[in-house]
Amino acid sequence: MQTEQVNSKSIYYPPGGILMWIIIFLELFTFGMALIAMVVYSKDEPEVFHSSRLLLNSTFGAINTVFLLTSGLFMAQSVKYLKLNKVDKSSFFLKLTMLGGLLFLGLKSIEYYGKIQGGLTVSYNTFFSFYWMLTLFHVVHVIVGLVILAVNLIGLKNKKAVTNTEDFEASAAFWHMCDLIWLLLFPLIYLIF
Amino acid sequence: MKKQLFLKVWIVLIVLTICTALVANQILPFNVAVLLILILSTIKFLGVAFYFMDLRKAHVFWKISVIMYALLFVALVVVII
Repeated sequence: MQTEQVNSKSIYYPPGGILMWIIIFLELFTFGMALIAMVVYSKDEPEVFHSSRLLLNSTFGAINTVFLLTSGLFMAQSVKYLKLNKVDKSSFFLKLTMLGGLLFLGLKSIEYYGKIQGGLTVSYNTFFSFYWMLTLFHVVHVIVGLVILAVNLIGLKNKKAVTNTEDFEASAAFWHMCDLIWLLLFPLIYLIF
Repeated sequence: MKKQLFLKVWIVLIVLTICTALVANQILPFNVAVLLILILSTIKFLGVAFYFMDLRKAHVFWKISVIMYALLFVALVVVII
């Protein structure tokens, strides 16, 4: 396993790479615009949005926030140890990162099961249309992130593989992007209305 | 040292998450509650971006871009809601 580092002070080389940051901004603007649209729609049906929001379990949302933030901490540690060429420690923290993602998906599945059992599906009302579209789209990102991290984990375990630090940081940036998106979704969907 | 920094940031983020949940469960004027929740969430957002994503080491363009995005988002929500 070999590593190499780039100068992240350059405008062309933010941590994770410029292409990943373009993707991050595109994703943030996409989710941001959808959330703003949700706020706009809530002005037409404030009672519907308030009563629907109360049907959500904000404790689940808060616990999922803790899962993703903890997962983000482990991801940062994993990147740090890879830069120090401590591959075993990096690999260990990467596994913990993935565990955090899996716990998030597990709790989200329980939440979704309850909503489907209660008939609160995508067509129930405007609030739940936004709830399902936004949270499911986020879940897709978490699943893609887990696949990317799994590929990195295989790369770390393969002694012949060349794991570029910038590639690893790009994967980490994608994972942290899932945190960032959730930090926008959680207050707006679960708490505000 | 850096390990402790990440841990400290994580503790702050968890405390802010608890504060957000507490604010949401308090009987406060709607606008005050919304503003407090958004401010706490924005601090968490910037904490993840600047520390976990190492944006504090990046070029100032990226730092300003992320801060501007967060401020624009919060401003739009506060104005519309």
